[in-house]
Amino acid sequence: MPARTLSPHQDPGLQPERTTLAWGRTMMALITVSAIFLRWLPLHGLPILALFAVAVTAAGAIYFTQRRRYRASSHGIATERLGADVAAVLWTSLACVTLGGLGIAVVLAS
Amino acid sequence: MNVPSDQSPEQPFRRSRLAERLLPGGSEPDPRFTLANERTFLAWIRTAMALLAGGIAIEAFTADLFIEPVRQGIAILLLGLGMLLSAGAAVRWLRVERSMRNKAPLPLPLIIPLLAGAGALAAAVVLVVILLD
Repeated sequence: MPARTLSPHQDPGLQPERTTLAWGRTMMALITVSAIFLRWLPLHGLPILALFAVAVTAAGAIYFTQRRRYRASSHGIATERLGADVAAVLWTSLACVTLGGLGIAVVLAS
Repeated sequence: MNVPSDQSPEQPFRRSRLAERLLPGGSEPDPRFTLANERTFLAWIRTAMALLAGGIAIEAFTADLFIEPVRQGIAILLLGLGMLLSAGAAVRWLRVERSMRNKAPLPLPLIIPLLAGAGALAAAVVLVVILLD
């Protein structure tokens, strides 16, 4: 079971904070992109909501894993061992590739 | 998310199956390097998203500025570059993580010339369009 309590890390470089904030900025960028997609609604109609949904889902996934992410990275610094978060990197990348692909499809279909 | 369990340092470090498959061999790097690599990946992803947002904005807001083929061309160029960078960011993250696990030199970032070249191309397209207008 993951540690429920926070392992206080001794990193003066504040790596867990900086990494969690970087995810937070990425989440906000996704929300911004989703809002810009909504400007396509009058031009291209309801299929745009699929693009909006992908961006908002990815942002939500980041939001709901932030506490766990901070806890894991703080614990990792404290114990000097941290598994690389392969899944998070892959789904974030996949979400953005999907957004780009669907966006190109929308432009070509218009 | 790979949450480490409360195990004593003597026990072997348990990794996710995905990590075992994509990051085989070597040993866990300093957690600070792993986190730094993750932040660099996120910075690339945000760059890619800025390009995606730019592509959407060109298509949505410049209807009375560019003729349709030009507008669509620039939008597709930006969206395509955003896609390439999104995928490239994950590939680069994997290659850096593998190098760090094996204590090998870090790979050169192929996405930097890609971003620079495509940025120059997009600027040239806009310049030509404005000059011909």
